[in-house]
Amino acid sequence: MSNNSSTKRNWLRKALLAVAIIALLGGGYAFYLFNMPHRDVLATKADAAIDAQALVDEFLKDGAAANAKYLDAEGESKVLAVSGTVSSKETDLKGQAVVLLKTEGADAGVRCSFTAETNAQADGLKIGDIATIKGVIRVGASFDADLDLYEHAVLEKCSLVH
Amino acid sequence: MKKLLLLAALPLTLAFTALPNGKFVSRAVQVTFFSHTALEDITANNYTGTSTIEPATGDVVFSIPMQGFEFEKALMQKHFNSDKFLDTQKYPKAKFTGTIVNLSAIDFQKDGTYTADVKGQMTIKDKTNPVTAKGTVTVTGGKVGIESKFPIVLGDYGISFVKGKPSTNIAQSVDVTVKAECTHEQ
Repeated sequence: MSNNSSTKRNWLRKALLAVAIIALLGGGYAFYLFNMPHRDVLATKADAAIDAQALVDEFLKDGAAANAKYLDAEGESKVLAVSGTVSSKETDLKGQAVVLLKTEGADAGVRCSFTAETNAQADGLKIGDIATIKGVIRVGASFDADLDLYEHAVLEKCSLVH
Repeated sequence: MKKLLLLAALPLTLAFTALPNGKFVSRAVQVTFFSHTALEDITANNYTGTSTIEPATGDVVFSIPMQGFEFEKALMQKHFNSDKFLDTQKYPKAKFTGTIVNLSAIDFQKDGTYTADVKGQMTIKDKTNPVTAKGTVTVTGGKVGIESKFPIVLGDYGISFVKGKPSTNIAQSVDVTVKAECTHEQ
């Protein structure tokens, strides 16, 4: 009888311990998910290297296919190293350098937004320079009838490769 | 966690460049979503939009790449983009098309602050709904600033939460604030 009750106690202890561990792991995982850091695009290797014009053409030719190829369902879209001619340099409303890689005469280009951390990398770029810029793609190029304009493809979290 | 839909407030800020035909184009656009509930305030910012404004007709267009929204929490951002909510892979852009209906009250050539009545349509995902907004147009030394705020009901765009954190932490109605700065450069 006493053996029996001690076995029961042991079992109970183990069960409680197991529950505690599961709760701790579950809680820890939930905490991790809640505080999950953003993807560090700067530290991420490019998924592909592509010419700015080729990227634009892919989206203009078949937007749906290009969306499926380059955009991620949860927003963690492809990190691309895009090469092209510096066509303009601006600053956005967050104070980020924005470099447009666009072939002269092309309908659209690739708009590359740097970050507070990488802004200085864009300083040395001049209009007409050939540059390779890495960043995460947010949207492809397209023609919008309401804007009556071609919209550029957009890369964010950019850094200068060379 | 799927608090992404807290698109409670959507401020847009634009800087425009004038095309030769008089239309302003801005590719320096800021959009901010803000959702307020008793449990949580959620904000997301976007600097990737494109906008045009036509002083001759009062036509205003905003095109906003949805994956450009950045949330403080990475998980919220993932939920925001997912097919349960905005499905940004399939619907990468949201769009507002509208018209300043009291255009005669605004002189884009003269410094001053004017009240604008804007009527238009907002398209998010595959749903389009009418939007009416009051805005302010500020003309200063050749630059034109626009600011407006209007609410969006998430349910009108097929975004609804019936259970879990999103239903309690995400506001069902979203205020949209639009800010625009236009500059003549060409």
